[in-house]
Amino acid sequence: MSFLRVDGLEKKYDDSFVFSHIHFSLEKGEFVTLLGPSGCGKSTLLRCIAGLTQVDDGQLFIDGVNVTDTPARQRGIAMVFQSYALFPNMTVRENIAFGLKMQKVPPSEQSKRVNEAVELVELGGKEQRYPSELSGGQCQRVALARSLVVRPRILLLDEPLSALDARIRKNLREQLRSIQKELGLTTLFVTHDQEEALTLSDRILLMNNGKIIQNGTAEEIYTEPADAFVVRFIGNYNLLSAEQAHQVLGIQSQKQVAIRPESIYVREEGRQYPEHVRHPVRGEVVDYLLLGNVIRYRIKVSNVELLVDLLNRSSERLFPAGANLELLFNTHEIREVDEENSAIG
Amino acid sequence: MVSRQAGKKALFLLMPFILVFFLFQVLPLIWVFVDSFKSNLGEEWGIGNYEYIFESRYFRQALFNSLKISLYSSIVGMLLALPCAWSLHRLSGRLKELTLTFANMIANFSGVPLAFAFVILLGANGCLIVLLDQLGIQLGFNLYSALGLILIYSYFQIPLAILLMLPAMEGLRDEWQEAACLLGAGKIRYWISIGLPVLMPGILGTFIILFANAMGTMATAFALTGGNYNLLTIRISNLISGDIFLDPWLASALSMVLVFILMLVTLANEWLIKPGRLRAKAK
Amino acid sequence: MQRPNSLGHLSVIIIFMMVMILPLLGTLLYSISTSWSSGLLPDGITLKWYTSLFADHRFLQAMMNSVLVCLGALLLTLVLVVPTAFIVFYYFPFLKPFMNFIILLPFAVPPVVSSVGLLQIYSNDVVTLTGTPWILLGAYFTVALPFSYRAIANNMANLNLQDMLDAAHLLGASTFRAFFTIVLPNLKTGLMVSLFLSFSLLIGEFVFANILVGTRFETVQVYLFNMKTRSGHFSSAVVVSYFLIIVLMTILAGQWGKKQ
Repeated sequence: MSFLRVDGLEKKYDDSFVFSHIHFSLEKGEFVTLLGPSGCGKSTLLRCIAGLTQVDDGQLFIDGVNVTDTPARQRGIAMVFQSYALFPNMTVRENIAFGLKMQKVPPSEQSKRVNEAVELVELGGKEQRYPSELSGGQCQRVALARSLVVRPRILLLDEPLSALDARIRKNLREQLRSIQKELGLTTLFVTHDQEEALTLSDRILLMNNGKIIQNGTAEEIYTEPADAFVVRFIGNYNLLSAEQAHQVLGIQSQKQVAIRPESIYVREEGRQYPEHVRHPVRGEVVDYLLLGNVIRYRIKVSNVELLVDLLNRSSERLFPAGANLELLFNTHEIREVDEENSAIG
Repeated sequence: MVSRQAGKKALFLLMPFILVFFLFQVLPLIWVFVDSFKSNLGEEWGIGNYEYIFESRYFRQALFNSLKISLYSSIVGMLLALPCAWSLHRLSGRLKELTLTFANMIANFSGVPLAFAFVILLGANGCLIVLLDQLGIQLGFNLYSALGLILIYSYFQIPLAILLMLPAMEGLRDEWQEAACLLGAGKIRYWISIGLPVLMPGILGTFIILFANAMGTMATAFALTGGNYNLLTIRISNLISGDIFLDPWLASALSMVLVFILMLVTLANEWLIKPGRLRAKAK
Repeated sequence: MQRPNSLGHLSVIIIFMMVMILPLLGTLLYSISTSWSSGLLPDGITLKWYTSLFADHRFLQAMMNSVLVCLGALLLTLVLVVPTAFIVFYYFPFLKPFMNFIILLPFAVPPVVSSVGLLQIYSNDVVTLTGTPWILLGAYFTVALPFSYRAIANNMANLNLQDMLDAAHLLGASTFRAFFTIVLPNLKTGLMVSLFLSFSLLIGEFVFANILVGTRFETVQVYLFNMKTRSGHFSSAVVVSYFLIIVLMTILAGQWGKKQ
């Protein structure tokens, strides 16, 4: 049985829906990311699960128990905020101990658990500092420790890394994931950063306009996008209209067509291609971008610009702008996708 | 987010504040407003009090004196405070801190003690007057006149104006002048096109606060002249707690005249500082 | 940016200080002089005015009264304004502009006007507050309100109230508990600064004290006014003593302000 079950949650402000018909569940120990553009309702959904915002309809079960009307502080849910929400009048230690104090945990037990938490997030020696004396990354660690120390049943993370700079973010998210695995914490992580979602999660819930558009692993989301919105949001994709698809590939389609840049090949003389690599077409290089081990070409094929990723084998030559190439397409990777559903309600 | 029930409880907790504010701020004003329409020593309803005030040379003079002293002292205060505030803005370190602390103290040094301090300095036998007298300089200065009042009022207006102007001046950033200079504007051009327009809401707002402050104050003049100088606030006070003639209804009507002027001025101030506030937020 | 202080600006400030300090300096010298009939300096130095002042029972009583009524009024202001500001910021943020408006009312209604109404309302057979210090608590609340509300509101605006309260709730604290353990401690510095500044403001208040209460509960301002017929040296000693309180309060406020 699933550990957290969300059943038809619905929330509106002044007659317009923030989200509706939200159904999903989390298994125990699972790390699930709620991914979507800003304003899609994901943060409000998270707050509803935490019990900080009341829902208008639907139910919420934790471990089989209906907690829809349970106050936030009795749900056993911890949350890390984007703003950290550390208490500025308290030291690191006092911040972390706050939840234990509220639960009236005996002082000796308190200090033992706080020490463990401090160690876990690698903040040893900083216990007596105040939040104003810490860096952003350190603040976020304190916020995480404060949430973990109460041994929550579910951990919610609301864009916890978005206020940090890129290097610290990468570092911290790996640490976050390893702590989560170590403790076997059921975690729901909210972000608008698709790269973060794809690299961290067991499973991703992709949300748009107050609806969950797709629910699947990173692999599934990446290779089997549910609709044009997912294609655009994940990025990197070539998204062709039905007309353009006909022009380039010569195929008849009623829908838009999505092609990943790495599933387009440049024909090499004397090489044999499998049966499903077809649709030869000529194009002209517009320019290219070196992305480390990948070179991303922009190639113009009869007025349609395609992104084509080739492995950067440095021994070989680069195709300069203006070069005329013949392209081939991996037909297994050509997806027809529906236009995104913008209606809400 | 807050549940509806918690909201109701919170609303209930606002009651003590609302009650005290009503009893000591709103109710007295309403009372004064209503009373101002009881003329003829409270005997009959109507605008008789107001007619009386505007027909009486004595009360018209009180209003005129109040306006005159407030206006002059605000102008003098402002003119002297501006260069001081600018210099203070340009200074840094301990001296600036010290001056600010000093200005804060002086701003609170008003009313009765200030009147006494001025009597000792510039009264008929004041030490400065006597000193100048011995040097053979006769100022012919009368502290108990309009000029004296303007001088004292200016004294407490200056630190207030400095404290109010300083934040506006700190809002003027050096980069603006540097940018203007690189774009070919001279110092004067910079002040006309950028400096003054940016400072203007602050200057006007400060001026209005000074004016309202002077209009509403009473203690200094009261202590200095024992209630003899003819000012609006002193007339009101004498009509409710004087020794000779009590008419709280007439005092109410005078009060409403004063409140009307102050409301006008306060609202104008709110309106004037709004753009400044927005600018501060945009930073 | 640290600039060297320019001579021009320096001299403007020094002239400003010297002129503004004249009345204070004159009063100080006068309060320690035996007499000062002529000349640049007093005839002799003495502390007799201070000794007679501090031996005056009425003066000590007036000081005591002033301190009591100011502390009482500040306590009342604190108890009323802090929860109100919190409730407005946390529960009803849409009321903020309304609050900003009503705290302007004390500026538009000077004490002498409020006194006209207060005298009528609170001196009858049903409620007789005039002549007692109690009415000053309410009146001084209105004097201190704009300054203390602004100070508290500015501090609240700097706290991330919503997230902090949410975090506290999730960690098991009630709103009531969170107010005392988190909100209040974070306001402490701002509150202390505004308390000291409001104290110097209130202890200088004369109009309410004179009209509403008078000699029946004499504050230091009313005492000074009533002493106007005594010797100037004596009054000077009162003024200097009073100003020392302001100096102390301003310095204390500055010290607390630095902690921020």
